[in-house]
Amino acid sequence: MKISCVIPAYNEASHILAVVTQVRPFVNEIIVVDDCSKDDTARLAKNAGALVLHHVINRGQGAALRTGTAYALINGADIIIHFDADGQFSATEIPDLIRPILEKRAETVLGSRFLNKKSDLPWSKEHLIMPLARGINRLFFNIRLSDPQSGFRALSRDAASKIKIQNDGMAHCSEILYQLMAKKIKVQEVPITVTYNEYGQKFSGGLKIIKDLLIQKLIN
Amino acid sequence: MFQQILALIIIIFFLVRLFRQKKKQSVSGNEFLLWLIFWLLAAAAIIFLKPIDQLVKALGFSGAAINILLYITVLILIYLVFRLRLTIAKMEKNISTLNETIAIKKL
Repeated sequence: MKISCVIPAYNEASHILAVVTQVRPFVNEIIVVDDCSKDDTARLAKNAGALVLHHVINRGQGAALRTGTAYALINGADIIIHFDADGQFSATEIPDLIRPILEKRAETVLGSRFLNKKSDLPWSKEHLIMPLARGINRLFFNIRLSDPQSGFRALSRDAASKIKIQNDGMAHCSEILYQLMAKKIKVQEVPITVTYNEYGQKFSGGLKIIKDLLIQKLIN
Repeated sequence: MFQQILALIIIIFFLVRLFRQKKKQSVSGNEFLLWLIFWLLAAAAIIFLKPIDQLVKALGFSGAAINILLYITVLILIYLVFRLRLTIAKMEKNISTLNETIAIKKL
């Protein structure tokens, strides 16, 4: 069983070494997609033992995940993990994410910040932005999951082949959820802990996600 | 009358530019045709402003023909901006696909 971890990275020189080192014991292969970083991200990731794919143009997290996932599938991955490069996720929770797939209880496992583990989410995120995002997901896409924007997920080979990420930016999170529902892929949520080094997605970013999803709907 | 002549001069200027771009092959056939029809219709609307005025009145609109033309122009411009946005979105998608292919092939 080959487990590959895809880490999209843009200017993450300060975190990438620690992230790759922490993830390495839990997976067979780490694919860092360097999204045209201006700093030393690529070199540091390579030195830490990751396989590094280079984007010649900066295209965003969604595009980097698509590249990494496509490569993992070509390279024979059985389970693909999506993990952030900023050190906010805990690598020790990777076994919790892949367990339901190994036990054939799910095809995709999503990490959730809103189950029984407590993450130190900023107040406005926990009480304003996330409930709003959850509401939009329920209203427009009929998605009833606790975490509308988690980037920590594990996909079986079959599920990863079915999902086609179209959004280059941050809208890929909602898009993946929508595709999981539309393609009737068996999903399970597991609790995860998130440590916030930075605020992350702001309210304006949320509006951009809605705009990107609408444009995506129009051009497809 | 003076405004009509001025508007026609402006339209002729854009038509000349359009033909030059076509000669340099910087616009596609379809794009050339679209803009040619657009400017010819604009010229026709300006030349036949009085008959359009009568038509507008006959149709029951209270505004003058020039106002109606202005509203139509704004609608056309909104549509063109929308089309442009979609074209850019499609181009961005193609750039991302190229980016992905290069990243995987380079390894």
